[in-house]
Order: sequence, then C-alpha cells, then structure tokens
Amino acid sequence: MSIIRTQALTKVFPGDVRAVDSVRFEVEAGEIFGFLGPNGAGKTTTIKMLNTLIQPTSGTAEVVGFDIRREPAEVRKRIGYVGQDVGVDEYGTGRENLSLYGHLYRLDSKTIRDRVKELFELVDLVGYEDKIVSTYSGGMRKRLDIAMGLIHRPDLIFLDEPTVGLDPQTRAHIWDYIRSLAKTVGITIFLTTHYMEEADQLSDRIAIIDLGRIVTVGTPADLKQSIHGDVVILTPRSAKEEECKEFIDCTSAVLSGQPFVHGVQATNGQLAVFVDDGETAVPGIIRLLSSEGIEVATISVSRPTLDDVFLKYTGRSIRAEEGKATTYADVIRKRSRR
Amino acid sequence: MDTMADTYFQTIRHIRTQIRMPVWIIINLIQPIIWLVLFTQVFKSIANVPGWGDESFLQFFAPGVVVMTVMFGSAFSGMGMLHDIDMGILSKLLATPASRISIVLSRVIASMLVLLLQALIILAIALIMGVHVETGAAGVLLIMILVSLLGLGFAAFSNGLALLLKRPEPLIGLINFVTLPTVFLSSMMMQPDLLPHWLDTVRHFNPVDYAVVGVRGLILEGYVWSDLWRSFAVLAAWAVVGLAFGTLMFRSRAE
Repeated sequence: MSIIRTQALTKVFPGDVRAVDSVRFEVEAGEIFGFLGPNGAGKTTTIKMLNTLIQPTSGTAEVVGFDIRREPAEVRKRIGYVGQDVGVDEYGTGRENLSLYGHLYRLDSKTIRDRVKELFELVDLVGYEDKIVSTYSGGMRKRLDIAMGLIHRPDLIFLDEPTVGLDPQTRAHIWDYIRSLAKTVGITIFLTTHYMEEADQLSDRIAIIDLGRIVTVGTPADLKQSIHGDVVILTPRSAKEEECKEFIDCTSAVLSGQPFVHGVQATNGQLAVFVDDGETAVPGIIRLLSSEGIEVATISVSRPTLDDVFLKYTGRSIRAEEGKATTYADVIRKRSRR
Repeated sequence: MDTMADTYFQTIRHIRTQIRMPVWIIINLIQPIIWLVLFTQVFKSIANVPGWGDESFLQFFAPGVVVMTVMFGSAFSGMGMLHDIDMGILSKLLATPASRISIVLSRVIASMLVLLLQALIILAIALIMGVHVETGAAGVLLIMILVSLLGLGFAAFSNGLALLLKRPEPLIGLINFVTLPTVFLSSMMMQPDLLPHWLDTVRHFNPVDYAVVGVRGLILEGYVWSDLWRSFAVLAAWAVVGLAFGTLMFRSRAE
C-alpha cells in the first residue's frame, strides 16, 4: 500500500523558478524513504507541499489516503513534521513543548501524560522533562523536536534534513533514534538529506532529486549496482583549466571506446571511469593512456557510492555541491546552461 | 470549540514565555513610571496656562500613560511572531491541525492579558500619586475594556505587519515611526482646547485619541456617555479592522 503518491507535483516560485518540476513517486507504508539531493534541489519544497504548508502550482499528491489540495486538514491530523529548523520553544520545558502539540492534535490530558513519558524514553531524554529547553544541547533539542512530531502517533513522519548542523557523533545518535523509530513504532519515514551517508545508512529506498526533478529511485544497493562495478578516478598533472579540459577530452576519447569501460564522466577537473573491476582495469588504462602520450597525476579506485550514482545521472558531485549555498539564482543559472 | 481550545493552549505558552523573560515586562513597566513621574514634574506649570482647567497635569496626563503603556506594548506584539517564523516554530504549528486563526489570536490575547496587568499597576501608581478615579471600580473595569480594544487593534496590526515584512528591522522601524506621532497627534499631553485647530481635527482620525478621551473622562469627569459610547464604538471598530488585517495577512503570507 502506498502512503504517498504524487502526480506531476510542481511548484513554481515567482521569477519562474521551477523548484519542483512534475515530480512523480510513491512511498510504501512502513518504509524509510530517503530524498537525496544537493541544497536547492527541491527537497524542502516537496516536503512543504506534502505536509500542506504550501500549495502546489500544479499536480497533486495523495498523502495517508487524502488529497493534499482538497483535504489538507485530514492530512495534517495523520502526519508528523520535523522541519529543518529545530522548531522547539526554548522558553518552555520539554514537557510543555510536547504537551502543547498534544493539545493541538486534540489528545486528552491523560493520553498526553502517557505519551510524554513514552516519548521521552524513546528519544532518551528521561530526566529532562521539566528542564527549560534553552538548557538542552543541540542534539537533545533535535530529539525533542522529533518526539514532538510523534505525539499523535502519526502514520507518516517527515524529517527534513534531520541532522543538518549537528556534529558527527550526535548525527550517529540521531540515526540510531530514527532506526529504532522505524523498528519499534512501525511508522513510515520520509526523510530528506544532502548527506549521502545518511541516505545510504537509513533509507530502504532512495529518490535522487536534482534541480526539481527526480533523477532515479531505488534501494541503495540497486542504485550502487546501477553503476556497474567500480569507479576509477583519474587526475591530470596540471590544475590549469585549459590543460585540464584537454586532458579530460583526450582521455575520454581514448577510453570511452574500450570494451571494459561502461562510461566516463568529467567532474571537478577529474575524470570518473566506470568499469567492472577497478583493480584489473587500472593497468589497461595506464597502458592505453601512455601509448597516447597522456600523463596522469593520480589514479584511484573506489567502490561506487551514492555520490557516484548522483554523478552518473547529473554530471555533478553532491560532495562538491555541499560547500556551496545554492540560491535560486544559481538554480536558474544552472538551468539556463542546459 | 477546537479554535477556542487551540487559542487557550497557545495563549498559555505565550504568557509563560513573557513571564520567563521578565526583563521585557519590567522595562515596559518602568518606562511609563518614568513618564508618569518625570513628565508631570517637567510639565507641572502647564496647568497654570490660561484655559487649562482645574486639574493638575498629573491628573490630566495619567490616563494618557495608561493608554501609552498598552499601545507601545501591543505594537511590539508582532516581534514574537517573527521569532516563531525564524525558529521554524510557525511552520511546525501550521503542519498541525491547529486552527489557523488561533495562532494569531493567541498572540494578541496573550499580549493583551499581560498589558492589562501592567495598565492596572500604572493606574495603581497613579492613584498612589494622588489621582482620583471619579467612576470608581466600575470605571476601572470600563477603562480596562477601552484599552484592551485599543491594544487588540495594535497587536493584531503588529502581527499582520510581522507576517508582511518578515524581518525585525523594518517592523521595529515602522512601529517607532507610527507610535510616537500617534501620541502627539492626540490630546494625550495637551488640553484639546489648547491644540492648534488642524491638530484638533486630525486627532479625530486617531484611535489613540478615542482611548485617551474615554479613559480620561472616566477618571476625571465620571460617566459622560456621549463621549464614552463614541470611544467604545471607534475602538471596537479599530480592533475589528486590526484583527481582519492580521487574519488576512496570516492567510496570505503564512506560507
């Protein structure tokens, strides 16, 4: 049974920015569905349409059995939302924060008391119920934030970049909570992230989104297998743009015709070569390149990661995108380059 | 029913927040006390000007300070909304089934409740300083209703503008730009008869003046119903227009 089903879901912002462009996907009940893409890819916009915070420009979606346009109130009752910002009231205690949401979901006081106890255990905050949230650490706030999205036992919870801005240790902790949530509560989780490890570690299935379009959907294993084997990364001797380009052009021309090469992809002044088996391919690559007089600075072999999947479909690397804050202007620029 | 319950629970939250951040309340209390003490000292001799009347400047100005406390306090009500927007709290609230109007309404009501308490304290200080309320306890109740209506309007406009402007800087600028002139474009500090003719005309378009005239009447003169009903009607309309604006902005800008 699918718990989310979108139909050509589209959001166009003023200035003709197509933040989400005819997106179509289904999420099965009970799974952790990861939405992976760089900043500005349209992840948050998609979530905000699905949780009824913003109206789609066109297209629609069915969430927990109700249409987001026609019956947003019914959708809201059955979903939890944990936004990118930690939306907790720092002047309230943990209990006060949770109780307010309990009341807003129209639970009675007794149920709220029970659930607060239960949720503080789940997110490991027992003992902090009556402490003011401003004394919580970042990780504790995020855990409270997640608990607040669960107070009404929703069928589906949206986690928008749940570990953004947290240190690696806290991030690993939050991952554990998300996993145990899926196991113990049996809730469907829709998770967006621009961290490949996060999508890889947590998701049953992943949709990769870029520039408002879904590029591919599958299990992490399937997606990595679609790369067919390993990735060999070649780096040129010179970092100068022109020589770099020449290196990539020549090398691509030499290698792309070879029977053992599935494909090549230029990225950030390097060339990724997709092959079945990296170790055995390297000697052949070296031989071919030296016979053509092409000099290589470094050669590295790696098992495919989701970044390679992203690279294969978009020609760009998420890792490289991570450092940049993508603005709508960037998105427009990228689009016009196509 | 749901709307009332939602409003109630959020109002509790907002009042709690204000109580736990007492600096704001204290500043808001000390400021009018300074006005009350300082202004009545500075302007003491105004009462000797021909045409002023019998009352001392303190008696004349104290109602204005009560009105001013509520007005300035409620005008900044939208800052809390901006905080909720910035922190991602508003998005979280909007994703719940909570009644939409309760989100604005609870803020306005919480501002009002805290400000009414402040207004009562100011009034009590004025009484200690020697001001006499002609209409007694019932009059105090009517005074509180009058300033509530004025404050409701200002708080609702402030929240609406917060949603429109989205940033604290323009909101603070606008509030300062509007509030001080509305004080001087009223009879808060000067007998209406002594105001220049143009100002005496302009003040009739200023809701603050209706609050000042109404409250002052109840303190100095007793029940002058002809003035009182006009004040109530205008301030009720002001509150309704403010709430309509706040709700409209919320509907259109809360995305």
